[in-house]
Amino acid sequence: MGRQITISCFRFNPNIPGDKPRMQDYKLEEYEGMTLFIALNDIREKLDPTLVFDFVCRAAICGSCAMLINGRPRLACKTMTRNLPSHFTVMPLPVFKLIGDLSVDTGKWFRDLQMRTEAWIHTTKKFDFNALEVRMDNKIAEEIYEPERCVECGCCVACCITANIRDDFMGATGINRVCRFIIDPRDERADAEYFEVVGDEGGTFGCVGLMACDDMCPMELPLQENLAFVRRKMAGAGLKLTFPGIKL
Amino acid sequence: MELAKNLNASVNKSFGKTDLLVDLAQSISGVILIGFLWMHMLFVATIVVSPELFDALSEGLDKYYLAQFGIPATILVIIIHIFLAGRRAPLRLRDLRITYRMASLMKHYDTWVWVGQVITALGVGIMASMHLWTILTHWPLRAATSAARVASNGPADITWGSFTFPYYVVFYVIFLIFGEYHGGFGLYRILVKWGWWERHTMGWVLKGITVIIVVLGLTALYTFTKIAANPALGGAIH
Amino acid sequence: MSAKNTHYCDVLVIGAGLAANRSAIEAAQAGLSVIILSLVPPRRSHSTAAQGGMQASLGNVAMGKGDNPQIHFEDTVKGSDWGCDQEVAKMFCETVPSMIRQLDSWGVPWNRVTAGKKKYASGIETEDTKEKEGLITARDFGGTAKWRCCYTSDGTGHTVVFVVDTVVCKLNIPVHDRVEAISLIHDGVTCYGCVARDLRNGELNVYLAKSTIIGTGGAGRIYAASTNAVICEGTGGAIALKTGLVPLGNMEAIQFHPTGMPPVYILMTEGARGDGGYLLDKNMHRFMPDYEPKKKELASRDVVSRRMVQHIRAGFGVDSKYSTQQHLWLDIRHLGQKWVWTNLREIANIAMNFNGVDPAKELVPVIPTQHYTMGGVRTNKDGAAYGLKGLFAMGEAACWDLHGFNRLGGNSLAETVTAGYICGKQVAKYTLGATQDFNMKVVEDAVKFEEENINNLISGKNGKENVYDIRTAMGTTMMEHVHIFRTGKALEQGVAKLQELYKRSLKIGLRSSGQGANPELALAIKMPGQVRTALCVAYGALMRTESRGSHFREDFPKRDDANWLKRTLAYWKEGADLPTLDYEPVATPLLPPGDRGYGEASAGPVKK
Repeated sequence: MGRQITISCFRFNPNIPGDKPRMQDYKLEEYEGMTLFIALNDIREKLDPTLVFDFVCRAAICGSCAMLINGRPRLACKTMTRNLPSHFTVMPLPVFKLIGDLSVDTGKWFRDLQMRTEAWIHTTKKFDFNALEVRMDNKIAEEIYEPERCVECGCCVACCITANIRDDFMGATGINRVCRFIIDPRDERADAEYFEVVGDEGGTFGCVGLMACDDMCPMELPLQENLAFVRRKMAGAGLKLTFPGIKL
Repeated sequence: MELAKNLNASVNKSFGKTDLLVDLAQSISGVILIGFLWMHMLFVATIVVSPELFDALSEGLDKYYLAQFGIPATILVIIIHIFLAGRRAPLRLRDLRITYRMASLMKHYDTWVWVGQVITALGVGIMASMHLWTILTHWPLRAATSAARVASNGPADITWGSFTFPYYVVFYVIFLIFGEYHGGFGLYRILVKWGWWERHTMGWVLKGITVIIVVLGLTALYTFTKIAANPALGGAIH
Repeated sequence: MSAKNTHYCDVLVIGAGLAANRSAIEAAQAGLSVIILSLVPPRRSHSTAAQGGMQASLGNVAMGKGDNPQIHFEDTVKGSDWGCDQEVAKMFCETVPSMIRQLDSWGVPWNRVTAGKKKYASGIETEDTKEKEGLITARDFGGTAKWRCCYTSDGTGHTVVFVVDTVVCKLNIPVHDRVEAISLIHDGVTCYGCVARDLRNGELNVYLAKSTIIGTGGAGRIYAASTNAVICEGTGGAIALKTGLVPLGNMEAIQFHPTGMPPVYILMTEGARGDGGYLLDKNMHRFMPDYEPKKKELASRDVVSRRMVQHIRAGFGVDSKYSTQQHLWLDIRHLGQKWVWTNLREIANIAMNFNGVDPAKELVPVIPTQHYTMGGVRTNKDGAAYGLKGLFAMGEAACWDLHGFNRLGGNSLAETVTAGYICGKQVAKYTLGATQDFNMKVVEDAVKFEEENINNLISGKNGKENVYDIRTAMGTTMMEHVHIFRTGKALEQGVAKLQELYKRSLKIGLRSSGQGANPELALAIKMPGQVRTALCVAYGALMRTESRGSHFREDFPKRDDANWLKRTLAYWKEGADLPTLDYEPVATPLLPPGDRGYGEASAGPVKK
């Protein structure tokens, strides 16, 4: 016999007229190796077929299943119930639009972010099907991969007070995304061009430095380092724009 | 909505530079103020060595007009800092509610520390004005006047038997802790945002410095009350 | 209720994984209007889970010296056990190097060659020269003659998906995410598009287009245990099959990956063995060299998986707390802390997260697990589906037939972008030349049919069968009867069970109200389609009385080129409870059938 666990789950389906937000308790028997992916699916299959939540890869690589577990944003699929108390809460991520129960609309938010930061390689070179690839130092490739590992789960946005208060703040994930392109030598954008997309209070200068993102990133990205890097880089770019001829 | 968006897209770009300068100014004013605070506390702590050293130092500051220039300059920096850093604080009721709810849900250390910073900022703002008012109305600043001020009892005495409520000592203990808390963590936050250092190690270093300064401040306060109670040292009991 | 919105476009892309997104880019670049439908935001597609890499014969790394498309082609054909379309394979092998380079120009941070002498954990010593430094490097993968698997650490799928999606964003191609296609609309000759359910609010929408591309990935979830994401339910193939006109090809060809990690069956990349990892049994004995002296752990996946099960059956399986069934061990401890936590970091994290195992210090439990569907919507070499004009399919959802009866590791990710490019171009060409009159009666009927079906599911008019019970029963039936080792008797029983389940799946009734973004309804709508797909697999396997690639019949253990050098085409006639099977010959114009160089046919008697 495993432990009895009680999951207090946020419930609200905006598509059902008259539905009201509430917390609902589900009691389950825990078993060896139980993750929240297993637990929530058990609830849906055996106790309550209406419960809405998102899982895709269930292996902590796609970033679909971020939710507040006992108040903290985590990936539900890799959260083992044995590491939680016998009674705990699950709630949807704040900031993002609620679809129903534990499911939020990260897709639209992140697509807007890509468009706003123009998160693609800007180059004037035309691809030649018959040419060799441009050479690159392996170290640089590895450096680009570090910020590129972000899975866009939204944890860093949900736990950020600034993002919770200000609609236009792009969060650590947005600044980290720009960081990835700044490092990449294939992107020909000048610092002044990056400054246009990230050099304001909606971007790098909006960060207050609470570092919840750094503490709660499920991919353990070095967000403090990356955010500070972009901030310095953009401060330099902004000062050059403000005081032409300045040497930094 | 569309109009606002379009305006944002076309006009907001030029705000980036302002945002940068404001952000830089906030960080720089913060660094200046924490520098001032630590220096100030080191100067005050000279009282622990001897009242003569304290007097010599403060006379020197007056003689070279450092006090006359420094105090108004500091007031100016404080005002600038209040305006710049204040824009970060959750001012609207909605923002306060969100901040409180998220901080309590997540139980995240650095977020709570920041909530503490917002609260201490309010305290420091008010108390700094009171502190400035009293020192400027009791000029010049010497060991004897400072001791008298610390030991004085304030607007109305509250006495229970032989115990008199030490208004100013309590005021300065709170002011000291609030000021150091706000400043210490403020510097931590500035360095986190701009810095090259790993924040956990840096946090411990800054906490160490803050504790040292608070201990120095408390020792200085204790020394002042001793001086005030001992006429031989130039003190005058209220 | 009727369709809430009707969207028109030139090209409708169902799915937003790599193949779908890559073809959408081709169509958009040709100036066509494109809409992408996706179950999830594109960057969450299962393509991101591909850890290992992409096969391309660049020949930059020392161990890949002298590689060329011809050698890659031969490896692919041998891997497929001569089941693949050789023309397609040749075209693919010739195109894929430039695809890798194009991805590089779009921003994929491929790992690069570094000059100097190297000693790999597997004992191989090589030297890379200055002349190749900075070019894209490669690692070893199963069933290949050269090192040609290009990679970015072990997040290749992730980086490629993200980078391809940046191009989708750059071209501003609209993506309708959280939308599920539930049926194709067609007039018996031409495909019009699809009826789709909006998973945000449950509304039905109609998408009409000159061309429709199915790029919905594999059908792994018809098995109870699969390395696949939970969205890999073969929906694209199922809605094509339901038309009765479009066949699924070679559905019995299901790949089992040697190293799924119990109890969650998450994939441990082939890169772990490519980089020098071993498989150990309960006596800590490295058993693969006993069976496969030449390729050892790096024979093709079908062979390694069979050898593992064979070894467990011989009594060498491990009992442990990780799994109720016996398993074996993956050992990468000798690769060292640094290698494991940089080059194999994702799997190190997975082992750590789900079993608390640090693979740099401890053994990882592994068991062969369903991994890939080689079969799918049968298309010609342009990606055009059989049976309906204007319908295309690519990637894992399609049977373009690059993989035949066994896919080589690293060939699927490579297939997605290459097929997306090659077939995407053909889609553009077709669409530019096509005109389309939509018979609105047909469209309305299609919507009405789906509405009625949904109403019946909600009201329970056809019955009160529980959808989750049916899914569980289907999953276990596939595990018990249609797994790595197959026999006629077990398959017959499996088919019978599935037929029974199919009848029950037509009598599903919801327990919930089905309102809004209701997950029970979403599953109930597609459940009959999933059982049909499972039946195509099981029945195809029953009828194929030979062993080829991953399809292994214990009662017919030999490959039979005289009778079975052909491809299964499964159709579903209206009202039937079994697929109708047809066959087409597999041509071998470039490389006639021969010895694979590994596997049961080559290795001689097995030491017990």
